[in-house]
Amino acid sequence: MPSWQEFEPFIVSGLALGGVYALSGVGTVVLYQATGVVYLAFGAVGALGALIAWSLTNAGAPDWLAWLVCVLVSGAVTLAYGMVFGPPLARRDPLVKAVATLGLTLVLFGLMDLLWTTNGGQSRAITLPTDNGGFTIGQLQVTWTQVIGLGAGIAIVVVTTVFLRYTKLGTAMRAMANDREITATLGVPVRRVEAAAWLGCGVIAGVAGLLLANLVALDATTLTFLVISSLAAALIARLRSIVGTFLAAMAIGLIHDLLTPIQSLSSYRDMTPFVLAAVALLVFSRHRVISLSREEA
Amino acid sequence: MRMRQNARGARAAAALVAVIGTLIAAGCGSNGSSGTTSAGGTSNAGTVSTSQCGTKPGVKATGTPIPLGGIVTNQPGTSFTDIANMANAYFTCVNNNGGINGHPIKYYIQTEQTNPAQVAAVAKQLVQTDHVVGIVGNTSIIECSVNHSYWEKLGFFVVDSGIAPECYSTPNSAAVNMGPRYSSDGAVQYALSQHVSKIVFDQSNVPGTGYIAAGPAALAAAAHVPIVQLTENVPISDANSVAIKEVNDAGPNGAVILNFTPPEALVILQAAQKLGLEDNVKLWGCSTPCNTDFLAKALGPKWNNKLFVNAELTPPDSTNTPAMRLYKAILAKYGKAVSGGIGSFSQMGFAEAEIMVHALRSVKGAYTVASVNAALKAVSNFDTGMLCEGWTYGGFPMHIPNNVDYTVTPKDGKMVVAKGCTPVSSVDPQIAAYRKAAGTG
Repeated sequence: MPSWQEFEPFIVSGLALGGVYALSGVGTVVLYQATGVVYLAFGAVGALGALIAWSLTNAGAPDWLAWLVCVLVSGAVTLAYGMVFGPPLARRDPLVKAVATLGLTLVLFGLMDLLWTTNGGQSRAITLPTDNGGFTIGQLQVTWTQVIGLGAGIAIVVVTTVFLRYTKLGTAMRAMANDREITATLGVPVRRVEAAAWLGCGVIAGVAGLLLANLVALDATTLTFLVISSLAAALIARLRSIVGTFLAAMAIGLIHDLLTPIQSLSSYRDMTPFVLAAVALLVFSRHRVISLSREEA
Repeated sequence: MRMRQNARGARAAAALVAVIGTLIAAGCGSNGSSGTTSAGGTSNAGTVSTSQCGTKPGVKATGTPIPLGGIVTNQPGTSFTDIANMANAYFTCVNNNGGINGHPIKYYIQTEQTNPAQVAAVAKQLVQTDHVVGIVGNTSIIECSVNHSYWEKLGFFVVDSGIAPECYSTPNSAAVNMGPRYSSDGAVQYALSQHVSKIVFDQSNVPGTGYIAAGPAALAAAAHVPIVQLTENVPISDANSVAIKEVNDAGPNGAVILNFTPPEALVILQAAQKLGLEDNVKLWGCSTPCNTDFLAKALGPKWNNKLFVNAELTPPDSTNTPAMRLYKAILAKYGKAVSGGIGSFSQMGFAEAEIMVHALRSVKGAYTVASVNAALKAVSNFDTGMLCEGWTYGGFPMHIPNNVDYTVTPKDGKMVVAKGCTPVSSVDPQIAAYRKAAGTG
């Protein structure tokens, strides 16, 4: 068993990894809260935005413009998907809605593989000005980008929680996600509210994509499928609690990285999100708190 | 009313699609321009004409085509099409300059997605439908494992870029590259030559890791240096913890050697840099995939003389030989489909095509499976201009014809030579077995 000193750096890296999962997981839960859709394309949309930002920066565009385009593209793609496929799928089972977003994921993934090939050893990276500054904890340097990543997760949690609970639009979103028909009957402009939810989620995906491209990797495969691990955090929070998702993501990141120095468990550390999610689902099913659809909840 | 709303929605969606399309086009444009930058290395190409590809400059070959085939992996995240596309560029150049005694080469490229049944099927298609007389440019994760018996049965002597162990350990496959095991050997050998006290060898957790790890383990054991073997699931999402573990395991006088694709290696190295760990070990090493200017550019100056990459092929930036100039000229003129531009992949395709053309030119009479493959088997000590030493096929039970290599290091966004041609140690039992079989050991 490694000593406490050996574990120390992995606490820092675990918190950073938890922040990464939180960024992705919280965005997924926000959209689910607002539209009732588990948006599996969250990572792919962010990756697309980040790759376009990389291309623009490489072509000589100012950094701020590239970042803005990244966020706008992610928002636009998500909004377009929501506007085109949201209404026809509105009455379908949550599983059908989730699988439909998987279709978008695969289309975007194929597109990125085609346009930003890794052929010939091509590899890319996004650097942010905040990479150069930071502070030291123990032997490890912590960059401001990592701090921003963690802070962005917390900020998204706070802002969306307040927004969904205390604003008119947020209340409309929650009502619509619960029952679209009744909400429409009450005079809520459902298309407009849905559009706002999709656009908001897309914008979060864009911000997350840009940060994750820096914190994890600017790679279509990595960013697209990162959502699977983040989904575990969302499942532990039963796709309901944004705060719960954040805490679950931090726990997953910490446990994952603390297993790394333990030789006998290190190879299995990537199972952490799924083992924790499976345990949580089993516990919830024992206490009958899990439901197949939002209507039954 | 509803129809009007739908129409409005459709118009809005169409407008969004147009905006996104424009942005993507902007993205692609810049990607393309970075490709042009890469091809900018071809400015030297003007000193060599592509007419040197053939014996009749400027004369198009019009005879009966000589059908050749190649199989490459092309799937999301793993594409080796640049190798076959570069071979095709070379063949096009040959065809436009007299061909092979007036015969143009018709090159059939089959792609596969790591499905054994598909890999076997495309091999049969090349033989039975396209009636190819030679196989060249194969670069696949599993092709050698799946098809080597088939090629042996039919008498094809394949010239390929090896990945699977069977590309090096069977009689009818000879690669121009060293493959992951011997390239990792080279990287570990360089680290040992710098008197490191410990080796940490980390590679992606894919089939064949045990085979690859055996080489570095043998080298470290012979040098009495402890080695820690690690594997990582890819894509890596926890690069920070990977980098911390590697550095902690290696210690301040140790070396971390990576065997990953460039994007994965970049993720680990950047994590180490962001955590301020790059100087916490004596040196970092990497097998051949890291030998790209993309990586050198992305890493920045902190890794100059800190990261040492095994290079299986002659570094193109600092080499100005006729072969290298011809390679760049062909790439510039015929290599539009080679998306990676100058680099190891296109060099491999060039070298494989060169070997095939050299063999075809030695064929007397008709171009049949028997005559073409006999000519390939007879290739001996052929100077490709891309390798440290001459390339030999021969009738050996196994083939590792490229077993002498360079070491490069990043410098100002480019990979430059840190150590010239060095034979990979015969301490690796496979290298020793090959040298014994080839009579060079």
